[in-house]
Amino acid sequence: MFKLNFKIALRNLWKNKTASLINISGLAIGLASCLLLLLYVSYEWNFNKQLKDEANVYQIMINFDGPAGSISGTGPRTPNTVGPALQQSYTSVKAMSRIDDGDSRLIANGRNSFKKRGRFADAGILKIFDYHFISGDQKTALDAPNNVVLTESTAKLLFGTADVLNRSVRFEDKVNLKITGVIKDLPDNTSLQLDYLMPWTLFEGMYEWTKRPAWTNYSWTTLVTLSPDADPDLLNNSIKGIIKKHVSDATSSPMLFPFSKLHLYGEFTEGKSTGGGIEQLRLFMGLAIGILLIACINFMNMATAKSEKRAKEVGIKKTIGATRGSLISQFLMESLVLTLCSAVMSIVLVEVFLPLFNNLLGIKMNIVYANPYLWISLIGIVLFTGVVAGSYPAFYLSSFNPLQVLRKRTPSRGILSVSLRQVLVVVQFSFAVILIIATTVIYKQIQYLKNKPAGYQMNELVELAQDGQLEGKFELLKERLMQSGAIEGICQLSGSMAMYNSNFWGMEWPGSNETERHMVFSQMATTYDFVKTTGLKLVEGRDFSRQFPSDSAAVMLSVSAVKQMNLVNPVGKIVKYQGDNCTVVGVFEDFVWNAPSQKQDPMVVAFRKQQGGYITMRLNSANPASANLAVIERIVKDINPAYPVEFKFVDALYAEKLKSQKILGLLSNVFGGLAIFISCLGLFGLAAYSAEQRTKEIGVRKVLGASVASLMQLLSLNFLKMVVLSIIIAIPVATYVMDNWLKKFDFHTTVSWLMIAMAAAGTITIALLTVSYQAYKAAKANPVDALKYE
Amino acid sequence: MIKIENLEKVYKTEEIETTALNGINMHVKTGEFVSIMGPSGCGKSTLLNVMGLLDKPESGSYKFLETELLSMNDKQRSNFRKQNMGFVFQNFNLIDELTVFENIELPLIYNKVPATERKRLVNEIIERMNIVNRSGHFPQQLSGGQQQRVAVARALVTKPKLVLADEPTGNLDSSHGNEVMELLCELNEQGTTIVMVTHSSHDASFSNRIINLKDGHVISEKINKSRTEELI
Repeated sequence: MFKLNFKIALRNLWKNKTASLINISGLAIGLASCLLLLLYVSYEWNFNKQLKDEANVYQIMINFDGPAGSISGTGPRTPNTVGPALQQSYTSVKAMSRIDDGDSRLIANGRNSFKKRGRFADAGILKIFDYHFISGDQKTALDAPNNVVLTESTAKLLFGTADVLNRSVRFEDKVNLKITGVIKDLPDNTSLQLDYLMPWTLFEGMYEWTKRPAWTNYSWTTLVTLSPDADPDLLNNSIKGIIKKHVSDATSSPMLFPFSKLHLYGEFTEGKSTGGGIEQLRLFMGLAIGILLIACINFMNMATAKSEKRAKEVGIKKTIGATRGSLISQFLMESLVLTLCSAVMSIVLVEVFLPLFNNLLGIKMNIVYANPYLWISLIGIVLFTGVVAGSYPAFYLSSFNPLQVLRKRTPSRGILSVSLRQVLVVVQFSFAVILIIATTVIYKQIQYLKNKPAGYQMNELVELAQDGQLEGKFELLKERLMQSGAIEGICQLSGSMAMYNSNFWGMEWPGSNETERHMVFSQMATTYDFVKTTGLKLVEGRDFSRQFPSDSAAVMLSVSAVKQMNLVNPVGKIVKYQGDNCTVVGVFEDFVWNAPSQKQDPMVVAFRKQQGGYITMRLNSANPASANLAVIERIVKDINPAYPVEFKFVDALYAEKLKSQKILGLLSNVFGGLAIFISCLGLFGLAAYSAEQRTKEIGVRKVLGASVASLMQLLSLNFLKMVVLSIIIAIPVATYVMDNWLKKFDFHTTVSWLMIAMAAAGTITIALLTVSYQAYKAAKANPVDALKYE
Repeated sequence: MIKIENLEKVYKTEEIETTALNGINMHVKTGEFVSIMGPSGCGKSTLLNVMGLLDKPESGSYKFLETELLSMNDKQRSNFRKQNMGFVFQNFNLIDELTVFENIELPLIYNKVPATERKRLVNEIIERMNIVNRSGHFPQQLSGGQQQRVAVARALVTKPKLVLADEPTGNLDSSHGNEVMELLCELNEQGTTIVMVTHSSHDASFSNRIINLKDGHVISEKINKSRTEELI
């Protein structure tokens, strides 16, 4: 019986080739979209979960006190003292490591020198992370200060081979380090990326200031592994006062937070996690399920539409002796066979499009076929889809009364069956329309943020790390570069223009009270030509200048700083910045330093010669950029030969800020488009069936004198009604959801009626085109054919 | 073989009630060939459907070899039907997606006959029906007469005790119609009990007995002497 049912299924597929193709490929596209999205979700979900003892690894967070016992903020960086203190006082802390930011630092094998991401960490890191050692001893690799552990690709980059144990590399052109281990490259979805790893003791040896216990310098990541029986809540209570114990006026307290959760739950209010990336992930999961459901709905609709043709088969089988159960299993099997075909096709699709998808998102995901979860979930999805998609036709078709079916060719065109199909189409299109509107809003918001003035001229602005000799010989560099004509301006900065990187509190100014002294400012240190180079807009006063020797103790303030400090006539006022009295020499318009969607913190730009780190240059726009860069590279290399010259364009860095919105926009664009496409496939199929069913009616009408136009109207109107209904349902839902989404941004665009109208018009047009093709075909057909069909 | 008493069947719609069978009493003997005739809407098809357990009457009794069938549930009816009855329809009702062979095989599959046995039985009947060279064809590739022969073969392959035929020649021209009628006669002579609904008195003349219905009543019965004598 199985074989025979199978044959019927296959022959049916073959007989209705177009419909089958629509059905299988629609489902395959839906499945592939769902799989891709789930792949991305699992990639994000498994972020930082490659640890040995993942459940027991915690990152130490710092809660900052706000007014009246509240917590004003939570940060991921700790002082260098908290970790060691915890390890000393609590036996439940089994391993601890402080880890630095992992900047690009110079590593060289003879003449081969590269700037690669090097991290300093306590030896405990090797107990916390499950690095896969290709060579070297995991237990001792970081024990001596002059050790270094390389990743496989770093080793290959430097030496051309991974077999480099005990060889030596030169670090920052200052010390020789012995390679005591080579580890496999880290997976992409881990936040503590590195190219090489060095002991914390080396860090302290090279940079004296990192050695001093600094209980209120929040600069380092600290991870701990707790013993499995430790109670983190209890521990959290116990460690709360540890900073205040050492520094009486400190306003911060440490808190342990599960390391692997931080990536997705990294937003805190009042010291409690309130979500984060997980929200976007939930959105994607919803999208994945939604698209799959749309595809399933197609499948069900097509199957029930076909049922009118299959009814005879059901009737005959029932008369001859088929039980309802055998018919249900036949139809379920048919749908499972189809789903299986689609699943195979979808895997092919995923494989084909995964590189593109990876490229778009800038990540590296791949399908690990050895992963049992992949197969379990795939089989799960196939079974689920097959059963969901097949259940309605299975139960609906098998319920036909054989007598009715055989007597009239069509089974009762019951109110229920038709309306259920219509409901499904409406659900499908509502979802699609919501996606279109959401996509447009996201796109508009991204455009809005992108076009929002940054407050400075970022085109032609280039950054360079102030490494090695560039620190001592900055003035020489400046002079030679200006002479060369490759740049129009140059300044030394303590941080990147494109990335928020430093803040402070405790500023005092005329008339400031105690609470105002807790106000958080963002800060940047610079020397001369800051405004000239960056193209900031000065509102009052002037840039730092050599003509005023007193500028060595001067600051500039942002407009919002002046406003929040309630300063009248700020220029010339004396403020206390980092303990020094400084004169305000200028006021500049706020510029976008953190996220473009957020309000900017009040900002202080201070004149500090010793706090460099970045060199920012404005290229001479009269020359081609490449020529300018070549000149600059030659001069920089001349002054600082040990380091490679790596330029960064500020506008490219700035674009990075919009990455997460971009991903959201991109995914909703692609999958929104696919959802529409699949919905239209379904509509196309349904329209074809409806036209086929009414062939005789159309023939009779034509014989009686109906025009093609009136017939098309007859055939299209029903579908059009459904689409319009979907739009009416979708608009308020989409508006509500997207309004809420936009509210998350301080600066945001609005959901405009024009957008909604365009989305509606677009959907109607596409749907109409889809349906009218079938309608036209049916209406143009020779009426005699239609009547002969009997 | 069949004993029907006081059978009533009413079709209800929102506005009107139509009495299709109004107290039918009849019987069919084993080995008989009975025709049911009457004008359109007299209830003859309804009666046949009730006899075939495709439809449920409101009241009455229907005994088949002393077994009361009307008290059975759906599953029992379905089982009884597939074991004891074969159907021939006016519009053949073959499954388009199956070949002649597979169409005939289908009831055997539902009766859980083993594959080798199925093959033997189907081949046997295909030979008997003279459609051997058609066994791999699909229904659409056959003429009406051939299709009806396939349908008859399918009805007979399970060796049912009763064959129910609903205007088996209705869609056929007279020569093909005659072919089918001769086939039915032949089967009847070999011992199969047949009940046939027909409009055509020519077709009815092939049977032993003709029952005339009107407005849901049996109004007359006529024994076809030329055939009955043979039976006796």
